Amino acid sequence: MTRYAMVIDLNTCVGCNACMAACAVENQTPVWDNKWRTYVHDKEIGTAEDIHRRFFPRLCNHCANPACMSVCPTGATYQRADGIVLVDEDLCMGCRACAVACPYDARMEVTYSDVRQGKEFYGEDYRRRRPSMDKCSFCAHRVDQGLKPACVETCVGSARIFGDLNDPNDEVAKLVASGTARPLMAHLGTQPNVYYIDDLKRKG
Amino acid sequence: MKRMTYSELDGKSRGFYALLAGLGAIIAIALGAAYYMEHHGHYVTGMNNQVVWGMPHVFAIFLIVAASGALNIASIGTVFKRKIYQPLGRLSGIFAIALLIGGLTVLVLDLGRPDRLIIAMTTYNFKSIFAWNIILYNGFIAVVAVYLWFMMERQMKKYYLYAGTLAFIWRLILTTGTGSIFGFLVARHAYDAAILAPMFIIMSFAFGLAAFILLLIPAYQWSNRALGDGVLLRLKSLLSLFIAAVFFFTVIYHLTNLYITQHHDYEHFILISGGVYTLLFWLGHIILGLLVPFALLYLPLGQTRQGMLITSGLVVLGGFAQLYVIIIGGQAFPIEVFPNKEIIATGFFDGAVGQYSPSLPEFLLGLGGVAVALVMTVLAARVLPFMPDSLADQYIDPHAK
Repeated sequence: MTRYAMVIDLNTCVGCNACMAACAVENQTPVWDNKWRTYVHDKEIGTAEDIHRRFFPRLCNHCANPACMSVCPTGATYQRADGIVLVDEDLCMGCRACAVACPYDARMEVTYSDVRQGKEFYGEDYRRRRPSMDKCSFCAHRVDQGLKPACVETCVGSARIFGDLNDPNDEVAKLVASGTARPLMAHLGTQPNVYYIDDLKRKG
Repeated sequence: MKRMTYSELDGKSRGFYALLAGLGAIIAIALGAAYYMEHHGHYVTGMNNQVVWGMPHVFAIFLIVAASGALNIASIGTVFKRKIYQPLGRLSGIFAIALLIGGLTVLVLDLGRPDRLIIAMTTYNFKSIFAWNIILYNGFIAVVAVYLWFMMERQMKKYYLYAGTLAFIWRLILTTGTGSIFGFLVARHAYDAAILAPMFIIMSFAFGLAAFILLLIPAYQWSNRALGDGVLLRLKSLLSLFIAAVFFFTVIYHLTNLYITQHHDYEHFILISGGVYTLLFWLGHIILGLLVPFALLYLPLGQTRQGMLITSGLVVLGGFAQLYVIIIGGQAFPIEVFPNKEIIATGFFDGAVGQYSPSLPEFLLGLGGVAVALVMTVLAARVLPFMPDSLADQYIDPHAK
């Protein structure tokens, strides 16, 4: 069984934010409200003169044990067999419990106003029919066609690698198995499926 | 001791209609505020992606928690067979239902998609405490309605103890469910302590009783019915006990957090450095909400009706402060997204305290919930005999247990 995961190499992320733009256009997110499914932090590390700047892309971690799915009263948040966590906009009633429960701050709310503005902003191609809580879907619609998520496809430094964790020959599986790529806040028990290759040993 | 009789409110005075008109105006304004927030989205409120539950949730949860507490008066009379509380059972039951509906009204109107409420009633994720709460809240209304029916219908009185016991157990589970919303969220430092569930039960005892006293004294004064000191002094003693219990649980909650190293930052935030949250915790919750009313109840002023109204009002205000600190403060405290890393600069508020200032529409929506609860209680007392004709000392046995 396929288990989709993403590895992000913090050594090669250049902070160009192309992933944010690609994701926003692909998934028609309400960027006018500064709401993004993925976003890139500027991060400064170190002390005194020994300080350097790094970038830290963030998105839904598609946890194997998602806290957002546990709290969702209507089951609008669900998990596919391949591990992708999705939101059914028809079932979501906007209680925002998922936003409180998510330790990765990966949730945002798409409001009635956002839907109206989305129709103007994205034109007749706008797919969303109604408001709901929203988050990264690993571009499930693209993955189902054998394509990579938009952020992976567009990444300038090839910092984002997408693959199957259950395929031992997949690059993602190798990076995770070797311990090179590690998840964010594994101690919470959410079993996240976005892994990071740390950059702390490099000077920039 | 004379036989207890009940009757409907007269409801013909100008004051009665003025009260209904005033409450109706508040509800109309609240509906307008809800429409405004729903139409424009949450960005017109103080809420944002860090603080997603704002002032309406503070009002809603206060009303829901107070609802289960208001039922305590009836439960003490029925389940624990304390006779002095039994005449208050009807009013306690209907007030509990009204408070719950008031709270749920606010909650529903604060949903991102109130039009999808039917989904919440028909599609359940039983791993979610929110789904259980939907069943518990609806069930509470049904169980207490049956309890009231058995209490008021002579033929059904033989089943009254069973219905009362069920209602008492149900309300304990309900408040456990409400407290559990904040007990099992590992993402938030404020919300991963299971003690919050029993603490909410204790809070409900105090909030519900204080709200009940705030209803009882004016209701009897305005309807020209006698209210003896026997009943009031018993309620006063009970309130002081509940205030002490809330204080005890608050101390234990914070001591437990202080014992756990990873919660030290959160405790520092609430107790020392949290600005408005620290102020509300110490001044609102601890001093004005617990210590002052507790002291007042044992001073001569606390023995008077005005004193009891002031005390109960302070407990209610302190309850709002407590819930504000738990609900808003708990969300405003930043999620630790990069453990063991110092965040020096960020464009996405990581490590920064969430900013939240309640907006006027949020506050008006919350007040609307209070008005809904009061209108329902007043109308119910107008059409059905929920209030004893007299609670004068000669009608009740002040020495009864």
